[in-house]
Amino acid sequence: MTEYLAVLIFIFAGIGIVLFTFLLSRLLRPINPYHEKNINYECAENPIGTSWVKFNNRFYIFALIFVIFDVEVVFLFPWAVVFGQLGLYALVEMVIFIGILFFGIFYAWRKGALKWV
Amino acid sequence: MAEPGIVFWILAVVTVASAVMVVTLKNIFHCALALILCLFSVAGIYILLNAEFLAAAQVLIYVGAVAILMIFAIMLTSNLASKAIRQSNEQVMVGTVVSVLFCGGMLALIYLTDKAIVSEETGVAFWRQVRGTLPADNVASLGGYLMTKFMLPFEVVSVLLLAAMIGAIVLARKEKA
Amino acid sequence: MDFTLPQYDPFRMLPEIFMLLWALWVFTYDLITKRQKEAAVGYMALIGPAVPLLFIVFYLTGLLPESWRYGGSGFGAMFFNDTTAMFFKIVFLGAAIMAIGSSFGITKQKIVNHRGEFYGLLLFSTLGMMFLASSNELLTLYIGLELTTIPLFVLAAFFKDDKLSVEAGVKYFVIGAFSSALLLYGMSFLYGLSGTTGLVQMKMNMAVVFLSYRDIGVILLGGIVLLVAGVGFKLALPPFHQWAPDVYEGSPTPIAAFLSVGSKAAGLVAFGKIFVNGLMAFFGPEQAPNDWGMLVGLLAILAMVIGNVVAIRQTNIKRMLAYSSIAQAGYIMIGMVVLNEHGMASVAYYIFAYMFANMGAFAAVAIFEDQTGSCQIEDYKGLAKTSPVFAVSLSLFLLSLVGIPPLAGFLAKYKVFAAAISMATVDPSASWLYWLVGVGVLTAVFSLFYYANVMRLMFFSNEEPRHKITYSVPALCVLLLGLAGIVVFGIYAEPILKLVRTIPADFGLYIP
Repeated sequence: MTEYLAVLIFIFAGIGIVLFTFLLSRLLRPINPYHEKNINYECAENPIGTSWVKFNNRFYIFALIFVIFDVEVVFLFPWAVVFGQLGLYALVEMVIFIGILFFGIFYAWRKGALKWV
Repeated sequence: MAEPGIVFWILAVVTVASAVMVVTLKNIFHCALALILCLFSVAGIYILLNAEFLAAAQVLIYVGAVAILMIFAIMLTSNLASKAIRQSNEQVMVGTVVSVLFCGGMLALIYLTDKAIVSEETGVAFWRQVRGTLPADNVASLGGYLMTKFMLPFEVVSVLLLAAMIGAIVLARKEKA
Repeated sequence: MDFTLPQYDPFRMLPEIFMLLWALWVFTYDLITKRQKEAAVGYMALIGPAVPLLFIVFYLTGLLPESWRYGGSGFGAMFFNDTTAMFFKIVFLGAAIMAIGSSFGITKQKIVNHRGEFYGLLLFSTLGMMFLASSNELLTLYIGLELTTIPLFVLAAFFKDDKLSVEAGVKYFVIGAFSSALLLYGMSFLYGLSGTTGLVQMKMNMAVVFLSYRDIGVILLGGIVLLVAGVGFKLALPPFHQWAPDVYEGSPTPIAAFLSVGSKAAGLVAFGKIFVNGLMAFFGPEQAPNDWGMLVGLLAILAMVIGNVVAIRQTNIKRMLAYSSIAQAGYIMIGMVVLNEHGMASVAYYIFAYMFANMGAFAAVAIFEDQTGSCQIEDYKGLAKTSPVFAVSLSLFLLSLVGIPPLAGFLAKYKVFAAAISMATVDPSASWLYWLVGVGVLTAVFSLFYYANVMRLMFFSNEEPRHKITYSVPALCVLLLGLAGIVVFGIYAEPILKLVRTIPADFGLYIP
């Protein structure tokens, strides 16, 4: 458990440094907001619309496929740790596992879901 | 594990507070960010329970992938990200009653179980008795069982993931005219 | 640590392996033929469940060579081919065949881009059910149930431009995810109590805990409530049934049929394995303080009453069939709480008869919808004049759902009620089963109202019919298959009854 103490300290240090800099700049800078200062920076032009833009739909399919393979990677970790002890059949099992998932990539590819048009 | 220490209480407060933020904040994008914090502190609780692999999976899948997917979905939906939304509807009272009852029921369950069945010899509640020892390296033992005893469900999971992937592509793809 | 691979036998998973490879082939076939031939993918997909079905039927009838030992353990407790597994696999595969057969119309008209995916996901769902039926272990059971439902979320929302279909998909998804969470939570309680995921081992471990502490605590009660709620959602048992009519109405009709039969049968197997097998010792108050029998009996009464009463007011035939299937789940649950050598056998026969009748009724609805685009009951007016075959077969399916002799539905209801009475007469503490039978008989009579209403409109309406039904070959085959099922197995049920008689032994209900 103690090895995670470093992680904890690291997280708190990270949060602390950010908060500290914000606090410091708040104390040091002059506070004088007006309308032109508050609008979004758009290369000296007046901005059109909001700064929230709608993403392209295509990103979403990539994100979905990414999630599936992210889950697969989670299964790879424990396999990799014990692979040395287990030998050939563990390799075969993982090949089947990845093979079935690989069909998904083949499918997405042929379906044109990976094409950026 | 001994009595919960200060770390547990910090994590618990952060988890509950961020979970409340998820369902009350007006900006849905901020809700998603609060959800990330919530999931992250749950990962911390997993570590306290000696479930390191589960914590890693939580960070990798939920914080790393699912939260990103949610933020994507928010950004993809036009005019959703910057709008103030109302998070409750006319069912809010019913929902409160049900969740309070469920929470109370679960707490009562834990309390009663802990109290009711105590071994006469040792005086320890039976569900607190340690059955077996914790493996030194729980990632390795998990991997070992996944490859041997639980090989069949492991392989079926890949079919499950494939079905989810194909289904996601079918639903998310824009149809050609 | 010492990790050794348990004994495994891929031969006993042959139908599953075939289904998996065939589903992949169906996806691939649709991709490489560039969706040129409309019906070819459908016929291709029919082979997927047909071959395993024939294999299992041949095995059970003894037509396979003696050396092909298909029954038995394929992978410890996680994959076990007992009579239960094989019988329910027949039901799942039969439901899949009839669903595919009745979906040729919609894949021709409505699904243009994703025909292969439609059939392939249906096969995946069936595959999940098959794994579920073979498992005697919580983890495989759960993963099988997930593999069953995840493709069905997508299939329910398959008409992406249709608001109702998307609503059906979203509703089913939210309910499905929620119920899976409840189920998993309940399973974690069972695991915590017993320290194992194997159902038989779990039963023994919990009995040891109970005997040494003379109590097992409210924690088991909590687990039972969570599990009943989780499986109750999947089975659409009241009060967890509200999703079913909306989902059936919105999703493609063959998928609604598959949901009402295949998915329901899968839920029943899961319920039987967890409760009847795993928690059998905690059935009655005299054995242990945590009683699930009364709880489930109460849900069964609710299902029979609510399903049959609300069905009367429906004007959409898919919604009517949805409420009817809620009621049918209630009748099936009567058999489930009967823990003697008749209970599970009657459940198995009931689901078998229900499969033919309900798939047939939905197939008729699908044929009608393909040609008219309507699901309203009043559009069926006067159909007997123009399409007598259609009207007669739909009427027979509905009559079988009511339970009119000599159709299979009658024998099914009779078996369930007889099982309950046989338990109630022997065991005085189970006399509450009489109430279940009483409510069952009353509501069955009551259900004749709304089923007969459809028949009345088709046969005795004076209005001129607006439609004439023509059949495609696969749809006609499904109708005839359903008809053959309810007639043949209603009159000559002995082979099926002989088969289901061994099923209660698989749940540890008696030693054969």
